Amino acid sequence: MGVFMSVLTIASSKGGPGKTTVCQALAASLAGELRIVALDADPTQALSRWATNAYEGPPVEVLAEPDETRLAHLIASKADTADLVLVDTAGFGNRAATVAMTSADAVLVPSLSGEADVTEAEKTIRLVEGLARAARREIPVRVLLNRVRRTTLARHAAAELKAAGLPRLAATLSDLVAYGEMTYSGRLSASGQSAAEVAALIAELRELGWIPVFALQQHVIP
Amino acid sequence: MKTLKPRSSSNRPSPETALSIATAAAPNLPPTQLGSEDRPSTLNVRLRSSTVAAITSRARERGLTIKQVVCHALADAGISVAEADLEDRTPRRRG
Repeated sequence: MGVFMSVLTIASSKGGPGKTTVCQALAASLAGELRIVALDADPTQALSRWATNAYEGPPVEVLAEPDETRLAHLIASKADTADLVLVDTAGFGNRAATVAMTSADAVLVPSLSGEADVTEAEKTIRLVEGLARAARREIPVRVLLNRVRRTTLARHAAAELKAAGLPRLAATLSDLVAYGEMTYSGRLSASGQSAAEVAALIAELRELGWIPVFALQQHVIP
Repeated sequence: MKTLKPRSSSNRPSPETALSIATAAAPNLPPTQLGSEDRPSTLNVRLRSSTVAAITSRARERGLTIKQVVCHALADAGISVAEADLEDRTPRRRG
């Protein structure tokens, strides 16, 4: 298991690969056991609206902040108190996303299977690598294939990622109605394929040390 | 097996350093949200001639434009007036 990390930025320079959905699924699944802060750096504020209007689970602190300077300070302050800080970013190259990736302990890059998605995932990963070099620190990054269908296209996308030397998670999220429903219902199904996929994703992120196993409060000696 | 969280678990950069690195690495990226530009627009007000004459007179006395007299009065009344509207921006002829 890797070193525990607490700031996970979800980024991609392309819109629509499921950044907010992944953020919602992680927040909803982990809120019962960890203190989660989700920072919404996307001006569409889809994550914030979901948290306000739809989400029904254990408390998750969601703050909208698209300004890069305020976001940098918010990440630093919340990282000190939360078990896990999730940062959802806008789907185009922008300053706030770049700051969120620089400040991250790890970056997750959701990608669909299309050529443009894989190309933008590669651009995002190269940017993270450049930021890590500039910061002289390791910023681990992985692609998460999203809305996967068991088709030749999905296998080809995985092969393209591998050929480009882009690290990706073994876990994938399928093209399931349950994820779309979650954006309206505020709940992720507790059973079925979607629940199993998110559990597998969380297990892999924990194995990487990107998500803590225990809540911060459990380490406090009374 | 317990996994104890180290007191300092990350070499995460300070906010200032993160901003500096991000700006240097990708200097041409736009802000996430463009600030709304405070563009000029027009306000037409229909006033009695005597009122216009009084404002004009005050403007001449003080060496201000009519717009400045009105905007300074509004600012004095506690209305938030843009700095640009308190200045004399009348186009000057050259030569």
